[in-house]
Amino acid sequence: MPGKKQKVKKAIGLAIMLVAIPLLIVLGVWLFEDRKYNVISMVIALLSCVPFFIRFEKGKNGAREIVVIAVMTAFSVIGRLAFSPIPAFKPVTAITIIAGIALGAESGFMVGSLTAIVSNIFFGQGPWTPFQMFVWGILGFVSGAVFYKKQTPNRWILSLAGLVGGVAYSLLMDVWSTVSMEGSFNFVRYLSYVGTSLPFMAMYAVSNVVFLLVLAKPFLTKINRIKTKYGIFQK
Amino acid sequence: MKYFDRLHPAVAFVYFALMIAISMLTTNPVVIAVSYLSSIVFCGMLIGGRQLMVSLAYNLPLLILLSATNPIFVHKGETILFFLNDNPVTKEAILYGVFASMMIMSVFYWFKCYSTVMTSDKFIYLFGRIIPKLSLVLSMSIAFIPKLKRKYKEIDEAQKALGIYSGKGMVDKIRSKFRVLSILLTNSLESSIDTADSMRARGYGLKGRSSYAIYKMTASDKILCALFILVGTASIVLIVLGTVDFNFYPTLSPISLQALQIVAYAIITAFAFAPTILEVKENVLWRCLKSKI
Repeated sequence: MPGKKQKVKKAIGLAIMLVAIPLLIVLGVWLFEDRKYNVISMVIALLSCVPFFIRFEKGKNGAREIVVIAVMTAFSVIGRLAFSPIPAFKPVTAITIIAGIALGAESGFMVGSLTAIVSNIFFGQGPWTPFQMFVWGILGFVSGAVFYKKQTPNRWILSLAGLVGGVAYSLLMDVWSTVSMEGSFNFVRYLSYVGTSLPFMAMYAVSNVVFLLVLAKPFLTKINRIKTKYGIFQK
Repeated sequence: MKYFDRLHPAVAFVYFALMIAISMLTTNPVVIAVSYLSSIVFCGMLIGGRQLMVSLAYNLPLLILLSATNPIFVHKGETILFFLNDNPVTKEAILYGVFASMMIMSVFYWFKCYSTVMTSDKFIYLFGRIIPKLSLVLSMSIAFIPKLKRKYKEIDEAQKALGIYSGKGMVDKIRSKFRVLSILLTNSLESSIDTADSMRARGYGLKGRSSYAIYKMTASDKILCALFILVGTASIVLIVLGTVDFNFYPTLSPISLQALQIVAYAIITAFAFAPTILEVKENVLWRCLKSKI
């Protein structure tokens, strides 16, 4: 019975990712309370991506799977580029969520985090890159973890996912804004940042819902067709 | 071709990693100003004056905006300049805002230099063996972007020629965009599988495959790399030991210029301007050689 053993292994892996990483962040806050927090937080964000990257590297993904992940990443980068004139109205989170639903949690993480690296080649790399890598990655991961093995989610669930994704993205990126200006995590300041970014948060959430409603069905149909045709990303 | 482009990728990578770390590790205004200036000058040398102006035109207002937010939120500091909505605006908070945003901008420009020099083939050369799948998926996504743009145009033109849509009027425009995008996705997914199969047919992922590389670590590369590591690490050690520590709150600490501090500033400045100096030296040398021919 390899199935059961694999399941247990996977559950443990999931627990490590979802519990150990936040723990690492808390530990970082506690250990390096006041000094150079901007660097440390950047390193933590980067380190948080490492377990996912290792899993991808050690995983049994073949050339076909890798190439499909690259195509999805390129699509989401192009989406970000195409909508660059409108602030905060971007299809990236939506495409990442779709990738998670269609290709699974780990591939969803890869699409999200790679989008951050690649699109920032055009928008500018900086200390924010690891944060975006982690935040988009984890959004793809969670959507994969929740939806991958289930039936295609309906409109309401998709809209809810988009809403949650937008709020989560905004809240997590505000952590970066706070840390980068303050050098430490000041909760009052964080709240004020969250306050000033509320319109952006709304915009993120609305754009996610719009893009998910428009793109999810055709994209999922197309990806599922490729999956069945070539026998890749089989559950 | 720029001098930094011709260096062995490892040397350039070491330099950028150390310099970005130095820029982020301290709040000392002298170090931040040096890093900011040197990053902009070097970036200008790499991407050309005109492009630099374009990016500065966008980044300078951003710098001012970022600087302005700090005194609005933070009321620490003892030198109160005036009151805004009953909240004190302090000199310390203003200056902290200026230097914190300058630090962010300097890191931004160092990363800009990094991505100009470290193209994806260099990245694969350095990391292809340690993280083969990751560096492959990364460079493939980068390569797909111009490819997809070109394909988009082709499909768009073909659809127009077929008379499927006119591309006039708002509704028609949006519908056409959506249609082309949807064709593009099917097309690129299908053709990407072809790419993958062709890769597999050529032995991708088999053991013992070597990769093509044109980079050779020359003696001068080695010397330069050693110098970079020595000077860069020395700078980081000096910063971590607190030689150039600087506090903005509650009052600005004085910038002491004792022997140790002068040495630290000199080392950091030399390291920050090293690429610029190397580039200038190379240009001068080239001019001299050219006129002799």
